[in-house]
Amino acid sequence: MDSRPDPPASLGAHLRSPITRHALRVQQQILAAVRATLAGEGFVELLPPVIGPVTDPGARGAKQLDVDYYGHRYKLMTSAILYKQASLLSFPKLFYIAPNVRAEPPETASTGRHLNEFHQIDVEIAGAGRIDAQGFAERLLTRIVRHVLETAADDLAALGRDPAAFGDVLGGPFSTFTHAEAVKRLRDLQHSQSESAEIDWAGEELLSRQESAPFFITGYPKGSRGFYDREDPLAPGRLANFDLIAPDGFGELVSGSEREFEYPAVVTRIRETGENPAKYGWYLDVLREGIPNSAGFGMGLERVTRFLTGLGAVWQVCAYPKVPGRIGP
Amino acid sequence: MNDESVDGFPAAAVRARARAGTAALFPPLGSYGRELFGARSAPVDGGDALETARLVPPVFMPERLKKLIELGREPVFDDVCLDTGIGGFAAPAPVFVSAFGSTELGSADLGLAVSAQAGRLGIPMVIGENVVPVHGYAATSVLLRRIRAYLDAVPDSLGGVVIQQSTEDADAEVWNLLYSDPLTEPLLASGRLGFELKVGQGAKPGMGGMTVVDKATAARLNGRYPLRDVLGTEDLWLRSSSPGTFTDEILTRQIQLMRNNFPRARVWVKLPPGRDVAGACAIAWANGADAVTVDGAEGGTGWAPLALLDHVGLPLAECLRRIGAPAGCLLASGRMWEGSRAVKSLALGARAVGLGRAALIAVDEAPDRGLIRLLEALTLEMRLLISALGRYAADALSVEDIWFSGTEGVHADR
Repeated sequence: MDSRPDPPASLGAHLRSPITRHALRVQQQILAAVRATLAGEGFVELLPPVIGPVTDPGARGAKQLDVDYYGHRYKLMTSAILYKQASLLSFPKLFYIAPNVRAEPPETASTGRHLNEFHQIDVEIAGAGRIDAQGFAERLLTRIVRHVLETAADDLAALGRDPAAFGDVLGGPFSTFTHAEAVKRLRDLQHSQSESAEIDWAGEELLSRQESAPFFITGYPKGSRGFYDREDPLAPGRLANFDLIAPDGFGELVSGSEREFEYPAVVTRIRETGENPAKYGWYLDVLREGIPNSAGFGMGLERVTRFLTGLGAVWQVCAYPKVPGRIGP
Repeated sequence: MNDESVDGFPAAAVRARARAGTAALFPPLGSYGRELFGARSAPVDGGDALETARLVPPVFMPERLKKLIELGREPVFDDVCLDTGIGGFAAPAPVFVSAFGSTELGSADLGLAVSAQAGRLGIPMVIGENVVPVHGYAATSVLLRRIRAYLDAVPDSLGGVVIQQSTEDADAEVWNLLYSDPLTEPLLASGRLGFELKVGQGAKPGMGGMTVVDKATAARLNGRYPLRDVLGTEDLWLRSSSPGTFTDEILTRQIQLMRNNFPRARVWVKLPPGRDVAGACAIAWANGADAVTVDGAEGGTGWAPLALLDHVGLPLAECLRRIGAPAGCLLASGRMWEGSRAVKSLALGARAVGLGRAALIAVDEAPDRGLIRLLEALTLEMRLLISALGRYAADALSVEDIWFSGTEGVHADR
């Protein structure tokens, strides 16, 4: 991975840079691979909503941005997860290439992995469980890598990305650690990590640097993720969820989970996040009528592009980067 | 500011201290050498169990001997060290400023004066007046100005600012908004930002906040809060907040979420004086709360229906008795303003006491130095009382230092 470069002096300089051009060409091939793979497996692409009365609650200091909508306070989507779940009423397998906006805390500017405006490849599968979703995320990432190696070799070469870096990606099943195992590994590496919290950014990068192939972390503690990640019925206090972490320090590419879908469970989980469920009225109304159980994930488009290109920061793979803490175009 | 209060808060005495500082601790100087003094027949406030309890020094004082050996001279009250840690913050005295009821904060100037003086003193300060859900973040100049006033005055490495969030505030995402606001970065960078989860309050345990709003405000808030026309006039409406639903699991997960989402902030929890307060404290500490504040029923300062003020909730002394030896940092609030109540609370296990209405009245009386003088008086009084007990640190007190009338000790039924 390249070292973390400073954000561009101007948007003009960024758009003129050959690095930007090569990275965006790689991204184009990633999108082509995603659409071909998902269409081939019977998924329907929907166009995602941009605003709504509620969105995915913020986490780790990521602010929601408000829009005045006929005098009502609407939100730009931090993620379209609630709509994605509701859309299972139309299609059992669906995806978005969804723009998301989160005003991340300035401290995330140095992670190389945060942008205030980014895109997720947002996938949802009715009737699926965590392991199904994990398997599909693995298959999708593998196809993306193979396709990019076939179609964007010149761009990778121009960026100095050695195709050999992906040998272990294509080489077989990704390994899986539980959250508890990840915490133990971090503590063994002298990194203090709470067992009841999200793996912190430094810890995630540390784990990522230990591996040469992507790997899963599963079973995050309840309280570390959104209310829609389902609590594991076999392991209360743990979520039936996963992250897919890229090797070599690139960190999280995908977050996914089985979903809570039963009305009483969702209301209780919302309350556990401190909120008044009334805020989620439209979503709860849909749940009262019943939706299918499901699992799904969001794959960060810019993060995957950064992994493929080997660049130091996600802003380098975005045409119009909004870097946390910076006011810019 | 109106001092009329339904619970007999000794506003005049607080005002006297805000004007005269430590001089108000003693009988009038004009009487010195001319009058005889002894115990007065009734406590000043004639109030709750904490007021009627007495601090009881022993005759034999092995801790005084230890201090004598350490100093190489006889210890005096100035040798009492009040420095302590309050919920993850260093403080020069076991005192912090509690959140005010939204009804009390009559003017933004009072809040700013409290903030500036709390900052100068280096004592932690909690802010939480539901300003964001009512006025919106962009209009929360009061909240941000209070933080700035505190920051401008606070010495390095002392104090901290704690932002309270109730269930309504959660909808407005107060913590999320503040955590990434550049204004709070100096606090985060120095480990001096905290978030307080408001589970309940002293004045009306089991109920959410209540305020009286005018017709125009009522129209603006309609749909967001329950509004009732029960005050006998068309022009004023009762605005209620929902209290929020808690179970042990909900409290556990909310604290874990705070620690997960805001790893650089301290986690405080404010509990109402509920009958299961000990269990709630235990859950909060077990899940990593840096402080738990218990707000006694008699001390609530918010506006509340009379039936709740008079008949609902455990007195602070009983809360502290039920909690027993705390497994974490326990803070006590409710009707705090002078040293004896504070020292009794420390003896019953509290690490520090919160000043709510006293802080507001003090700056209302003396805008420049009211809170500073109140603190000077309070800390001198605490030093006098703690040294009288043969102790020389705020955290050295124990339950044997307090006696409830008609009992042999704290554990007997009052």
